[in-house]
Amino acid sequence: MSSYFYSGQVRRFLQQFIRLFSNFEVELGKNREGIRTLLRVPIYYGDGSKQVASILTRNSENNLPTVPAMSVYIASLKYDRSRIQEPQHVSKMQIRERAYDPETGMYTEYQGDLLTIERLMPVPYIMTLKLDIWTSNTDQKLQLFEQIGPLFNPSLEIQSTDSYVDWTSLSIVELTDYIFTSRTVPIGTEDPIDVATYTFDIPIWLSAPAKVKKMGVIQSIIASVYDSQGTIDHEQDTFDISASILATKRIYTPIDLNVFYLGNTLKLYVGNNQVTFEDGEPPAMQQGNWRVAIQSFGELASVPSGVNLLVNGISRVYLKNEDFTVVGTVSYHPTDDSLLLFNALFDTLPVNTLQPVNGIIDPLNTTVTNLMASPLTGTRFLILNPIGDLLNDDGNPATIDGPLLWNRTGQPELIANANDIIEYDGTKWVVAFDSAATTTVQYITNLTTNIQYKWKNQEWTKSVEGRYGVGAWSFVP
Amino acid sequence: MPRLSLWKDGKHTNDYKFFDRRISEMFTISGTGILIHKYLGPLSQTGTDNVTLPENTTQSELNIQDLLFLENRDRKYEENVYKMRGIYQVTDNAFDLTQFGLFLQTGTLFVVFHINDMIQTLGRKIMNGDVLELQHLIDYETLDSSLPAALKRFFVVTDCTRAAEGYSPTWWPHLWRCKINPLVDSQEYKDILTKITVSEDDITPIKEILSNYARYIDINDAIVEQAETDWPESGYDTSGIFVRSKDSTTPNYTINAYLAGEGLAPNGLPATSGTSFPANPVEGEYCLRLDYLPNRLFRYDGKRWTKIEDSVRTNITNGASTNLTQRNSFINNTRTYTNVRGNVEKEKQNLNDVLKIKPDVQ
Repeated sequence: MSSYFYSGQVRRFLQQFIRLFSNFEVELGKNREGIRTLLRVPIYYGDGSKQVASILTRNSENNLPTVPAMSVYIASLKYDRSRIQEPQHVSKMQIRERAYDPETGMYTEYQGDLLTIERLMPVPYIMTLKLDIWTSNTDQKLQLFEQIGPLFNPSLEIQSTDSYVDWTSLSIVELTDYIFTSRTVPIGTEDPIDVATYTFDIPIWLSAPAKVKKMGVIQSIIASVYDSQGTIDHEQDTFDISASILATKRIYTPIDLNVFYLGNTLKLYVGNNQVTFEDGEPPAMQQGNWRVAIQSFGELASVPSGVNLLVNGISRVYLKNEDFTVVGTVSYHPTDDSLLLFNALFDTLPVNTLQPVNGIIDPLNTTVTNLMASPLTGTRFLILNPIGDLLNDDGNPATIDGPLLWNRTGQPELIANANDIIEYDGTKWVVAFDSAATTTVQYITNLTTNIQYKWKNQEWTKSVEGRYGVGAWSFVP
Repeated sequence: MPRLSLWKDGKHTNDYKFFDRRISEMFTISGTGILIHKYLGPLSQTGTDNVTLPENTTQSELNIQDLLFLENRDRKYEENVYKMRGIYQVTDNAFDLTQFGLFLQTGTLFVVFHINDMIQTLGRKIMNGDVLELQHLIDYETLDSSLPAALKRFFVVTDCTRAAEGYSPTWWPHLWRCKINPLVDSQEYKDILTKITVSEDDITPIKEILSNYARYIDINDAIVEQAETDWPESGYDTSGIFVRSKDSTTPNYTINAYLAGEGLAPNGLPATSGTSFPANPVEGEYCLRLDYLPNRLFRYDGKRWTKIEDSVRTNITNGASTNLTQRNSFINNTRTYTNVRGNVEKEKQNLNDVLKIKPDVQ
């Protein structure tokens, strides 16, 4: 285990400081040809090693030092007690990276990793830098003074990096002192070099390394495939997902997207945060784009095999309401990006609790078919309006008081309520499902459309089709 | 018999001449060869309207370039080099490591010259500002074997007096003592360092091989290059962060960070640029308007172009062409305007000159 880390935080500030004072120039007077020239003033670190200094002189006494020149060095680094903040504070931020294409070396327009970055409270320091400016005459000195002076009124912003997550990168360079000359007046017999000295304070923060974790909790809810005892969640186990895959799977629940399940498609809608399943037509909502939505959960890549290639292993979608969860494999719609083709896994559909019906009819407005006129035994219809009325029934089977289609001479009158299921028992139509008397959830399939319906809250609704709001559907990549 | 006296009422006697010839002979025998770059006076600086900065159109050592600061910055040196003999005490040197590199701690030497020989050769005494080349200190074995020539050793004269040891029994002085310091590569000696070439065949100025200026500029450039890599532009780089689209088309916002606007569409999506919006935009399309300062990125939401961000990030390297900071707009301003007389004037003017009367353009 290593306790070592070093990221060159002070070094980066020094580099930026040197950059700040780079490219200043002084104007030299006219030469023999009458031409004035500008001379760039180099700036370098002023506390280098003697060995490198001798290399710069080429190990020769005859080397000529260059002037004007600027050098910078650290005069002090002090802990800044006045800027102390909660030392144990950990700041967390969630970042979605753009996906990186290693072939081009560029970011793509797709989402890459979802990261959570934890940053420990950095430690405040005041770094004092001295900037010495060596000039060979007063005019040079004043030229530089006039160029540098307007920069600091009293400070200038500086950054050590442009990293969005580096909260220690921004600082200021504040001018605190300026000594015009290192020489004393009168000069005397010596002829020392003339150095002007600026003093700057830079409040910096020293930061420990950050914790970078791969997460995605901002816009999606990730559900573990393990339960609180550490064993595989049996609910998911029933979805024919092998344990080995489960161990690496996560479930993403988008927050601001709804899907509308209809037929074999899932249509995407944006912006409604309703969290429950809702039957019926979708409300007026803005259509979403599956390709954009799926990019939010991983890189694009084709599934290795299968008829319906999908992106990046997005193999399943969960549709949940309070009674069941339907799982189906999904693939892009070939022409409509607002749709996903959804192939529900049969085993995940709710099991019918009632025998299927041959059709759903409105007895007050229906076309009579052979199945109604000459029904086979066991023919069943779900009716949307009542048939017959006790008030009209005289109790005499010899006379038919109700609709002829549903009654047989010598048989009791058919009295059925709306939402009942009637069944032909070989001799007469009878009520097979009494809606008024049934309060438990029931499932039934309409054989004409193969749509399954659910009886709940005294009404029939489609069992799985409908709108699934936020929290009611999930990706299983 | 007259009384013996070597002093003859201020006359240079034969005794003086005898001593002087012997002393001169001593320099010939034991002195070292010194090349003298004779100072001629400041270079003429015509075109100034400041009386403290005279033009000095007549070349003379008596001229002063700057009457305020009392300094001669742009010095002119004789192109011919004068050969003389000098004597000095060789001492051990030690390098002093300073914030500006290595300096010779005991680099100051005191060289004596024969006065009459000096007058005869130079036409005057050696003075402050004359540059001496000590030929015997040439360095043939530097660390850099690629240098095209050996490194010569230059000094500049900083003080001159009669040497105490140079008085003969006649009380007349014979020696001129010069305090010399190692030369530096500065504005004052540019005339020498840029005029002398490393050899007859190689016209490279000796400044380029003697001075460490180029090395320090290279070092400076490397530091700036790394600094620009770490922090290319002001503010923060959010280009690597994915912006999630909350609708079916493209994101209608960017990362909200201090000085993060670059005028680039989120997620690297394409954007057009120009001084007007595209004629038939589609929903989600981006456009960077270049006629806004700073440039502004818009997004078409199906009904209108909404502002996404301003391009406010800029290179902050001093003098860089891509530096769009406020200060840079004042300092590195090359823009012009045309006044009522039709004259093209520079926008960048010193405050004290702004309202001064200016001649019409002929």
